[in-house]
Amino acid sequence: MNNLFKITIRFFLKWFAKIYLWRVRPHVIIVAGTTNRHWIKEEIIKTLKEKGLIARSNEKNFNAEIGLPLSILGLPSGEGDFWSWLKIILQAIGMITNYKLPITNYLVLEMAIDRPEDMDYLLNIVRPNIAVLTTITMIYRENFEDLSEIALEYRKLVRTLPKDGLLLLNFDDQRIKNLAKFASCRTLTYGLSDGADYRAENIKKITTGQRFEIKGNSIKINRFGNHHIYAKITAYAIRSEKI
Amino acid sequence: MFSRTKNINLSPIKTIELLASKIPDVVSLAQGIPSFDTPEVVKKAAFKALNRGAVAKYSLTYGLPEFRETIEQKLAEEGMFYDFEKEIIVTAGSIEAITASLIAIIEPKKNEVILFSPSYTSYAEVVKVSGGKPVFSNLIEDDGWRIDFNNLKKKVNSKTAAILFCNPNNPTGTIFSKEDLLKIAELAGKKNFFILSDEVYKDFIYLRESGFFSLAQIPELRKRVIRIFSLSKAYAMTGWRIGFLHSDEENIKEILKIHDSLVTCAPVISQYAAMGALDYGEDDLNRFRREFNSRLNLICNHLDDSKDFFDYQKPIGSYFVFPKILPAAYKALGAKWGDSWDFALKLLEKVKVAVVPGIAFGPSGENHFRISFGRSEKDINEAMERIKKYMQ
Repeated sequence: MNNLFKITIRFFLKWFAKIYLWRVRPHVIIVAGTTNRHWIKEEIIKTLKEKGLIARSNEKNFNAEIGLPLSILGLPSGEGDFWSWLKIILQAIGMITNYKLPITNYLVLEMAIDRPEDMDYLLNIVRPNIAVLTTITMIYRENFEDLSEIALEYRKLVRTLPKDGLLLLNFDDQRIKNLAKFASCRTLTYGLSDGADYRAENIKKITTGQRFEIKGNSIKINRFGNHHIYAKITAYAIRSEKI
Repeated sequence: MFSRTKNINLSPIKTIELLASKIPDVVSLAQGIPSFDTPEVVKKAAFKALNRGAVAKYSLTYGLPEFRETIEQKLAEEGMFYDFEKEIIVTAGSIEAITASLIAIIEPKKNEVILFSPSYTSYAEVVKVSGGKPVFSNLIEDDGWRIDFNNLKKKVNSKTAAILFCNPNNPTGTIFSKEDLLKIAELAGKKNFFILSDEVYKDFIYLRESGFFSLAQIPELRKRVIRIFSLSKAYAMTGWRIGFLHSDEENIKEILKIHDSLVTCAPVISQYAAMGALDYGEDDLNRFRREFNSRLNLICNHLDDSKDFFDYQKPIGSYFVFPKILPAAYKALGAKWGDSWDFALKLLEKVKVAVVPGIAFGPSGENHFRISFGRSEKDINEAMERIKKYMQ
């Protein structure tokens, strides 16, 4: 895709996504951070659907400047093909001008940033009601001076949360935990360490997965690795809290 | 000097390709290389990473975390649950994955590795490179190249360190059934050996009803099974040297030491490209599968025209056919009866078509030859027409 074409697509998608959000007004849950966005998003979606809510999330890993508006609109990518993009743009126009747009209660969106300006651009498209922040690590840090510069970007996200919103922070990541002071909404923490509002304890690896407890409730999952436990805790928090 | 390498041979596939490269106008159906170029979405991912300045440095020895996360997601879609942080290693293709695993597994008193005959020609050499001894167990041709469990049980002993197989099998294109794989797992449990399952062709299965089962889907076998996959064939990326393996963390932490010693990490630009393949390459993969399926039918039509010379079983997976050489074919070429090497050499010399002799795939591969239909339709037609013309 050449630059002019990309800028044009970006422009249209941004405005179509904004119009969609204005018309449908879903609750938006943003999952951001450098790792583990996918599994957290999946668990939250599962939980919302179990509650009988109409919820939607990103297709594949559509989570940046082009991908995020596509996820909001629920459309595929045209990759590098002009005609595919034209079809998608026409689909988007058809969608946003539709008299009766399908209801979506919740949009659960992964958000990824590559460089310092990304967060401003993405927040210009969508403002979250709830944000879940995972980690700040060295992944994708090529365009940032250091990890603190990445944290500054997430600070912008925290500051956009409305007063009646909810911020869920990873208690085990110091930089993420420190973002609590920039929030004007209800803030809760999750993690594996003592002190987290939602904490997984007594973690045991078993043959078929992992077993642990959250607030005294025993939970068994068929997945391996701490990232799945984090995903389960955030979903537990979403299920338990008034959102 | 070279006492360790004197019994290790250059792969017969490479030998044939080397010989073929010296003869003008040869059509090669020997090496298992897809005729396609790497998909655009994959190249785009590589360019993007390159332009971002992300590929100049080593990645973590395990591989890029974001790529391993993508791999974990893909595996989960196929019912295999592995922790990207501790249970997946990105490797320089499947052969490095196999080598690293075997070096980690093989011990002085437990050094035998069971290979099916016929199976991929480089397995035996890799076992030797890793300090092991290859032990062949025959597949039964008349039963669709199924596993001969009576034979297999006889080959297993206290020295058996592992069984290594390719599923779908190269060169026969057959798929091992769930029932047979579970029998292998049972045997491995009783006799305490590892199972290395190389599933590089699992995306090329032409009979949907055949289904595909991997032992890596069974959580109870996580500590026993090491599953290997490469993006070389599925996404036309043979030159990128990129693949991965996964198993329980207990095994992975040992294999990682070898992987680190061998390559430090898989090529970083290839890791980014592979991430693009797994994220966005599905349409291309489907296109390749459709194309291979049509080439399979094409090659079978050609073989059907040569029934007096070759007998074959239609493969279900991979992109290889493994025909049996009938006496008339040996005679027509003036090759020594029962010698597939001589047959392949004569075919190269007289007909200018390169194929791989069956003996390269193990003792029971003798009297066969392997044809790759990964090559273009034009090459297949040209090669098969030349063979038919010469034989008839």
